[in-house]
Amino acid sequence: MGSNLIGRAFESFKRIGEGLRTVLMHSFREPITKTYPDTVSQIAPHFRGRLALSVNPDTGEHLCISCRQCERVCPDKCIEITAHKSPETNKLELIDFKIDHGLCMFCGLCTEVCPTTCIINTNDFEMADYTRESLVYDLRRLTLTQEESAFYFEAKDMPKPKPKPPKPAPGAAPAAGAAPAGAKAAPVGAKAAPAEGAKPAAAAADAAKPAESAKPAAAPAEAAKPAAAPLEATKPAEDAKPAEAAAKPQDSSTEPAKTVGDTTAKPEEKPTASPEVKEAEKEKAPEQGADADKKEG
Amino acid sequence: MIPNAPEIGKLLFIICFWICAIFLPVWLVSWAVGVLLPMLLEQGSPSMAMTATAETLRALTPIISVMVFIPINAMFMVLYERRALALFTVRLGPNRVGPDGLLQTAADAVKLLFKEDITPRGADAFMFTLAPIIFFAPSIFGALPLLAAITNNHSLYQITNLPTGIFYILAAASLPVVALVMAGWSSNNKYSLVGGLRAAAQAISYEIPLVLSLVTVCLMAGSLDVVKIAQQQDGGILNWNIAGGGALRGLDKAIQTKLGVETTPLITPQQSSDPTETPVAAPTTFEEVIHQYYPFEFLSYISAGVLIFCSFILLGLYLTGACAEINRIPFDLPEAESELVSGYNTEYSGIKFAIFFLAEFTNLFIVSSIATVMFLGGGDNPIPQWLLNKMPLEPIQKSLGAILSPFINGLHLIDPDTFWAAFWVIFKVYTFVFIAILIRGTLPRFRIDQLMDFGWKRLVPLSLIAFLVVVFARVLVVCHG
Repeated sequence: MGSNLIGRAFESFKRIGEGLRTVLMHSFREPITKTYPDTVSQIAPHFRGRLALSVNPDTGEHLCISCRQCERVCPDKCIEITAHKSPETNKLELIDFKIDHGLCMFCGLCTEVCPTTCIINTNDFEMADYTRESLVYDLRRLTLTQEESAFYFEAKDMPKPKPKPPKPAPGAAPAAGAAPAGAKAAPVGAKAAPAEGAKPAAAAADAAKPAESAKPAAAPAEAAKPAAAPLEATKPAEDAKPAEAAAKPQDSSTEPAKTVGDTTAKPEEKPTASPEVKEAEKEKAPEQGADADKKEG
Repeated sequence: MIPNAPEIGKLLFIICFWICAIFLPVWLVSWAVGVLLPMLLEQGSPSMAMTATAETLRALTPIISVMVFIPINAMFMVLYERRALALFTVRLGPNRVGPDGLLQTAADAVKLLFKEDITPRGADAFMFTLAPIIFFAPSIFGALPLLAAITNNHSLYQITNLPTGIFYILAAASLPVVALVMAGWSSNNKYSLVGGLRAAAQAISYEIPLVLSLVTVCLMAGSLDVVKIAQQQDGGILNWNIAGGGALRGLDKAIQTKLGVETTPLITPQQSSDPTETPVAAPTTFEEVIHQYYPFEFLSYISAGVLIFCSFILLGLYLTGACAEINRIPFDLPEAESELVSGYNTEYSGIKFAIFFLAEFTNLFIVSSIATVMFLGGGDNPIPQWLLNKMPLEPIQKSLGAILSPFINGLHLIDPDTFWAAFWVIFKVYTFVFIAILIRGTLPRFRIDQLMDFGWKRLVPLSLIAFLVVVFARVLVVCHG
């Protein structure tokens, strides 16, 4: 018994010594702490962060077809889609898309049901805000730029979407189509007008313009991104050259390609000059963070 | 290459910065109160009142320096502990306030002082207020006798020296338990009460091995006077109590005489420190000295070995008992956060909580400095004298002396003996603190029945056995006492 006790005592001393040595050796390891605002750790591409609506990375057209699958599947009922059936094309057209991120639980069900891989989870997790209302993101804040969409399409390994087929009727269709989209489409249409010259769309834009200017509250910058959607829908239809629209803007010097280039360039330029600079930066953040991480790695 | 070198470097920088921040004010304040003001007062007309004031100031120096020392030291130790624990757990630790988190605890202290001081409903307000005071006071007046020991008996601190120093320190160190029970009882909180009762049970159990281990050291030293115990251990690591309470002093002396006899130092110190080889090299004087210190030849050598072994056990016993006494992990049952929501200080907030915190870390420092004085030779240089003589320190010492002589002789700002003693004490004490932090980072908390078992069934018998063994072994060797 006595020797057993002494043996056990030495055994326990040995164990304690081993423990102390292990702990001491840990102090020579590199700390795993990331000083968060300074260094953002690499986020997995399938991280379920803020929801966003992607556009076609090649052409910049909005991918949402207003099928409302995400709205239906959402367990929290935090998605609200406003769409209407265009009387001309007889297809659904998106008017507004609202996601309440205060309600959202980031389950990712909406991204799974989306038939066009339009709604995606971005890597952005920095959504802290001062009011609950500002957590409700509308179409403008949800829509990604072409570059961001390209980044996520690549990162998530999603198949690139095919460009939308051209609309059958070029004539009066775009003008009337732009009208319901109204307030959103108008400013960009107005800006795009000089570049387009004497295109039918110019008439449509002009027609929409008075209606827009009559509305005092709508700031020009507000409509920047969502405007791309209805416009792109109309533009290729004007010349009926879908193949070139699908190609890269820089490659082709044809008319529709140019217009596409114009409309997609504008959403980037506009926010920097507008009071919405914050959002623009916010949306760029995940990319920058990812870049920084690449450098670190 | 160490991957964590920058973090370790930051910790070392914090330690250096804070030690300067602690000891420069203490040094300057004690110099101003103890030397400068009395000097100025006595310079003019040496009237009776002036002399009396000067003497009062001198007498007040120890307590003033302690009062300056304690808050700054507690701030440093909290930061030291947090950063070191962060190293052990592969984290960064506080690194936002000030450069590299240097001022984190200073900010915390300010925050605590400005917080609301709440007395819970149904609490005994008088006792509730008294408890932190009683907890804190012994750590001040218990530390005072140590001052003389760790400053190499500096003339200003001589008044704090007591013939029964260690006895007094132990008496003071056992007082805080009363405060813990008071705090637990007066809080009107079940958790606090359980914490206070646990503290009482634990302190009673662990005080026995703690005191017995120190008594054994006193037995080896033959004195209760901490200054005497510290001075006995002068002259290098072989004389320290950790090396058998002076059991190796004969070896030290023998080597010294041998090297003194040999005019040409042909033999390197490494060879001569090996006891098996040296008798052959130096026949006469070395053996004579050895015989003088170890009169019973083989029996004496064995008992010297036993003494060394025992003194290591004693140090272990002391550190275990001290850990329990100051309620540190793995003995932090009175304030077990996961069981008792921080035990006796659950209901405390603001400045009272700050005082509890302050006293806890001051106690850690005092416990470490007792260990330093009793086991590691106080302010003694670990390098043996015969090795020190061989080192080319002479020119450095001379040039340093030339530079510092106006401060030493004119202003009496530096006392060379005290300076080096303080340096070594600081080094040793914070090493003990580091060990305490390492243990905190390693060991989990005891269960209460394990704690009692370990205390009464293991530590108490072990300390008694060690005591008995030392009593018999020290007869065979010429020890300090």
